[in-house]
Parts: sequence; C-alpha cells; structure tokens
Amino acid sequence: METLYQLLISIKTDPSVGRWLGFAPDWGLRAVAIVVSVVLILAVFLTLFAFLTWVERKTLGRIQNRLGPNRVGPIGLFQPIADGLKILLKEDIIPRGADALCHFLAPVLFLTVSLMLFAVLPIGRGLIAVDLNIGILFVFAVGAASVLALFMGGWASRNKFSLLGAMRSVAQIVSYEVPTVLAAVVVLMAVSAAGKQGVGSLSTVSIVEAQAGGQMNASGWFIFQPWGLVGFILFFIGTLAESARTPFDLPEAESEIVAGYHTEYSGFKFALFQMGEYLVMIAMSGFTVTMFLGGYLGPGVDMPRIGWLLSIFWFLAKLSIMIFLVILARGTWPRVRVDQLMGFAWKLLLPMALVNIVAFGFWFYLGSGARGWFASATVLVVAFALLTRGGASTRLGKRTYRYSN
Amino acid sequence: MNTAFWIISIITVLGAVLAVTLRNLVHCLLSLVVCFFGIAAHYFLLRAEFLGAAQILIYIGAVAVLILFAIMLTRHVTGTEGPRELGGKWWMGASTAGIIGVLLLWCIRREALTAVLPPGDKMQGLVAVIGKALVSEWVVPFEALAVLLTAALVGAVVIALEETVHKR
Amino acid sequence: MKFPGKGLLDGVFVTVRNFVGSYFEKDRLVTVQYPEERVSLPENSRAFPFLVYDGTPDKMRCTGCRICEVECPPQCIYIVMDRDEKGKPLQRPKIFDIDISVCMQCQICVEVCPFDSIKMDNDYEKSRYGRFDELMVHLPDLLKSNEYYHKIKPAEATAVDAKLKAAAEKKAKKLVSPAPPATGTTPKTA
Repeated sequence: METLYQLLISIKTDPSVGRWLGFAPDWGLRAVAIVVSVVLILAVFLTLFAFLTWVERKTLGRIQNRLGPNRVGPIGLFQPIADGLKILLKEDIIPRGADALCHFLAPVLFLTVSLMLFAVLPIGRGLIAVDLNIGILFVFAVGAASVLALFMGGWASRNKFSLLGAMRSVAQIVSYEVPTVLAAVVVLMAVSAAGKQGVGSLSTVSIVEAQAGGQMNASGWFIFQPWGLVGFILFFIGTLAESARTPFDLPEAESEIVAGYHTEYSGFKFALFQMGEYLVMIAMSGFTVTMFLGGYLGPGVDMPRIGWLLSIFWFLAKLSIMIFLVILARGTWPRVRVDQLMGFAWKLLLPMALVNIVAFGFWFYLGSGARGWFASATVLVVAFALLTRGGASTRLGKRTYRYSN
Repeated sequence: MNTAFWIISIITVLGAVLAVTLRNLVHCLLSLVVCFFGIAAHYFLLRAEFLGAAQILIYIGAVAVLILFAIMLTRHVTGTEGPRELGGKWWMGASTAGIIGVLLLWCIRREALTAVLPPGDKMQGLVAVIGKALVSEWVVPFEALAVLLTAALVGAVVIALEETVHKR
Repeated sequence: MKFPGKGLLDGVFVTVRNFVGSYFEKDRLVTVQYPEERVSLPENSRAFPFLVYDGTPDKMRCTGCRICEVECPPQCIYIVMDRDEKGKPLQRPKIFDIDISVCMQCQICVEVCPFDSIKMDNDYEKSRYGRFDELMVHLPDLLKSNEYYHKIKPAEATAVDAKLKAAAEKKAKKLVSPAPPATGTTPKTA
C-alpha cells in the first residue's frame, strides 16, 4: 500500500522518494512520474472504452426488452475484442478525390485531443496527471480544438453528406459550449467563494476540495444547491451535445445523413473516431462528477493510509452512475431536429445559464442557509417558468379558412 | 532561448508562411491553426498559461471556426481557386509588413508596457490582477468594449433578419 | 400536473422500469435465442413442399401425374414417371426433383394436386454448403410420413384423411354393389 502510494502520488512532489527508486537525477524521477501517469491513463481509460461499448449494448438491450450480445464470452464480455479484431482487419478505403493528408490526420487529431482531456481529471486524492492551475479552462479549450478535427474529417472526404454532417456537428458543439461554460462559471464562482480571500482557482483539484466538508463528505457537493442542480442539468446536456450522443446525435444519425462526418471512413480510422467520441463522453462525465458531484469525495476519504484508495472507488462509482445516465438518455429520448437543437441551446439553455449565475449571487449574498437556498431556488423556478411560457403549447390554434364558405 | 523556444518558433513561422502560400484555401486555414497552436505554446513557455488556454479557446475554437464557415458559405466547396494575381505589386505587401514589424519591435522594447504590473513576481496571480484591474481601474473601457460587442451582435442579427425579410 | 419536461421524465420512468424489470420478470425479454430455442410456427405457415406417404415410403400418394410440374409458376419441379420393363407407366414417380433456389413457396402445387400427396412443410432450415447441386432436393428427401404431416398440421391432415377415407368408402361401395345400368333416355327432339 505504501509503495503504491509512493509510486502513484508522492513521486511527483516528494524528492525523497527518489532515493527509494535509486534514481539520483531529478529528471529521472520526473520522467518516471510522467511515464507512470501516462501509461496508467492510457491503460485504464482505453480499457474502460472497450468495456463501455459492451456495457452500452447490454444496457440498451435491456431497456429495449431484449438481451444484448451474449455469445462471444461469458455474457458477451469478449464482444469488444471481437469488434476490435473485426475493425482492424477491415480494408481502409480512401475516396479517390479525397484530400489524403487531411483524411489521414482528422481521426488522429480527434483522438489526440480527446486523450488530452484526461490530463486534468482528478481520479482520486492526489491522483491527477497534471494539476494545471488553469484546469477547467484547459478542458474547454481542448473541447474547442476537437471541433476542428471533426471539420477536417468531414471536409476531407469530398462528400456532400460528410460536409453537411461536419457543419452540423461544428454548429452543435459550438452552440452548446456556451451554456456549458456558463454552467461551469457558476462552479468557479462557488469555488472562489469558498476559497481564501475570495480568490479562487481554475484547477480541478481545488474545485473538488471546495466541496469537501459536510456530513460524510457529501453534503458539500454542489448538486445539492439549487444553482448546482441547474448547473448540473445544463452541464449534463452539454456533455450529451459535445460528444454527439442521442438526443443530439444528428451529425451521425444513420437515418438522417448516412453517417455524417465519418461516412467515408472505414477500418481503423472509423474506430479511432468512435474511440474519440466515447473518450470525450467519459471525460465530460468525469468533469460533471468533478464539478457537481464532489469528484472523488465520499465517506472515508480522509482516513490516513487508505483514504486515497477509497477516493478512487468513490470517483469510479459516481462516474459509472453518470455514464449510466448518458446511456439511459440514449435509450429514452428521441433525436432532436437541427432547428429544435439550435432553439433549445440559444433560447432556453443560455438564458437559464445566465439566470443561474444571478441565482448564485442571491445564494451567496443571502447566506448559505435556508434563506439563500429558497431565494435562489425561487429565482430559478420563476425564470424557467417564464422561459418555457409556463408549458404553453406551441400547437397552432384552430384553423380558419379565408376563402371557403 | 532554449531549444523548446526554437522548435515552437519554427513551427509557428512555418504555419504562418504556409497559410499565405498554399493553394487550397482550407489547407491555408489549417496551417493558420498550426500557427495559432504555436503562439499558444509560446504563451505557455512564458508562463502565462491562462493566456495560452484562452488563445486556444478563442482563436482556434471560435475565430478559426468563423473563418471556416465564411469559406464554406462563400467559396466553391473544395476550396481551390484559380491562379492568384499578385503581379508586380509585391513590394506593397512587403513594405507594409516591414513598417508594421519595425513599429512592433519599437513598441515592445519600451518600458511603459510593463509599468502597469504590480511589483514582485510578475507572473504570479497575473490573471487575478488583470481581473481586478478590469473591474476597478479600467472599468470604463471594459464596459465600452461590451457595448461595442453588443452593438456588433445586434447589427449582425439585424442584417441577417433584413435579408430574410427581403427574401419573402 | 403538467410542467415543461414532464414528458421527458415520464419517458425516463418507462425506460428504467423496462431495465429493472428485465432482470426480475422473465417474460419481459422477448429474445428467442436461436438456435437453442425456436419460435413455434403457426399451422398455416409454409416453407417448402414435401410428399406424403401412408405407412411406408413405397406407399406414397403421388402417382407421377405431373400436374404440379405443369402448374408450378417458376417451374422448379421435374418429374419422370416410373415405367416397368414393358414401358407401361407405374403410378409412381421415378424422379421427383424440386430446386430450393427456385421454389417460391406459392403453394400452387399443393392446391392443384388431385391426390393430396404434395403438402407444404414447416421446416425452413434448408441451408446447404454448396450453391448448385446441393440445392436440388430429390425424391428420397422429399418423402415424409402421414404421421409427420399430422404432427405439423393436425387440422389440415385430419381433414385430408377424412376426405380420402370418404372417397375410398364411396369407391368401395360402388365396387361392391354396382349401380343398375343407367336408363337414361335421350330426350326426343322434336
């Protein structure tokens, strides 16, 4: 246990560990730390991706009153291996008029960008690859950079469906980034409210630590505040939209646009696109957990020797719940049309995100007791009712005919 | 001036040069994106991480996408066009670039640029300092910029709305 | 009480009920795990023709009359009547071939057979490993017993048996007591 802790966590901060490892120079220690982090992230999250395809197919099957795959291994557990082998052995077809360099680079860039998201995800207490002091900003910057990889993929295929799908995908991600970032802004405001001298930090670890305290390390989570709940819903919708999952999977829906920007990709490049998408989904679920559900906090995390192991367990449990919610969203809700998608983002989510910031202001200045809680909840409910016109139906009225009778 | 600086500089300048010389317009855009990444890397080298991330978020996430949409909506979809006519006017571009370069170098070497920073470690907590300055000492230009951006946004919407009204 | 978003939440409850129920209620999962389980086919389903025999395979009902070969729309049946040494036709087929890749299961051969000898089978698992010769089904593979016919199509088989028995009894009665010669008088035309 102690050696594991040293290997994973204190190797980055404590120079005395070097003596145990026998590395005299400083750069050797850092190299080992970097290699360990990178290998762990790749191993854990790529395996999680493969396992996740199996989980998704079984869960969707059960939701749809059928069994998922159950032939390949015990209860179908080797299905991802079979899928991986199949896609490795497929022929890699490049259309003749396609831009070969961009066609090749697009999935590579997309996967690189998706993997970079995991660098600032805190998996346990002290377990983060790089604790950047601009953590959350890095996440959104990387998300914005992935937009370009999608466009490259769609444009390089020289196919109208691909280009249209890529444009729709870009428009969707860019539109849904705005309420997502604003939902995260509320969290940052809360972090700075909880920080010393009112100075906060963008680091993901400080966001998690700001939710510490409270009974069982659980009542401090931001989701239990009204502005946190609305922020959670907004960020969750943003997760669905950023990774192009149903109900926002218009860019890649088979019945709509063949396969959108990855129409002309076959073989392993297609697998890279899928991998990138699922990794973005896992990473954004991880960030939802970090920002609203208390990250790796849970009862027992403060214990001296095994607290950090428990924190990993809590983080993975919450991540599983979030991923299950994302899969449930896929199995439950129908796909939105592209105009409904845009209207939803700009006319409902963006005003709600702005009102959420105001509601946080109410909560902050009226004290964090019941008074502030009720004030901010009231502001949010009233704003929601006004924005959705109290649920008024958008159906047209009775038809009147001008020229007949 | 370590090796990282030289490598990143070469990548940035290469991206910028390719952005103005390539034939295919979308290729030009992609090399411009490489140039933006290089500049963001320079910011990280200078320990201004916030600016680096903001560069990626704004320039690559928004400006490049905007240029993309502009290309897609106004050009033939493959992005290639006919031969460019530059002719003998190359000295105009060269002289403009030269004048701007000299001006920039002169501005950067002046001392007045660093006078607004607080004493002490210039990079620690820079973002907080900028934020506080923006809402206390420089609040009037900040609000003026906000009004300008809102006016631009409203103007864009009005222009787009007018076109649809005219179409009907 | 309706509020915006209620429809979405109701949908989530339906799905979660499906998901949780699929583990506890056995009849919620509708998957039939072929090939370990099979769906039971209704009586009138048809897959491929077969020839009925009563008792032993040489007591087949088919007489080689070739009506089904003539009436078959894609012409997938090939029949050659068995003849003895002198060339006299025995009322049974020597060759009876049906091509699986051509037969379209239209059941016209069943409808036109005057001897109720060719009927439609329920067995759809007729895949073979070859594409040409293996898809031609010959006479020994087509013959199946009347008991098998009763098993797959009880109501139809019973009706056919009753009809055949009635026809046989009528024929036997005619042979035993021959009818008096017909005193049919030709009507006088004036």
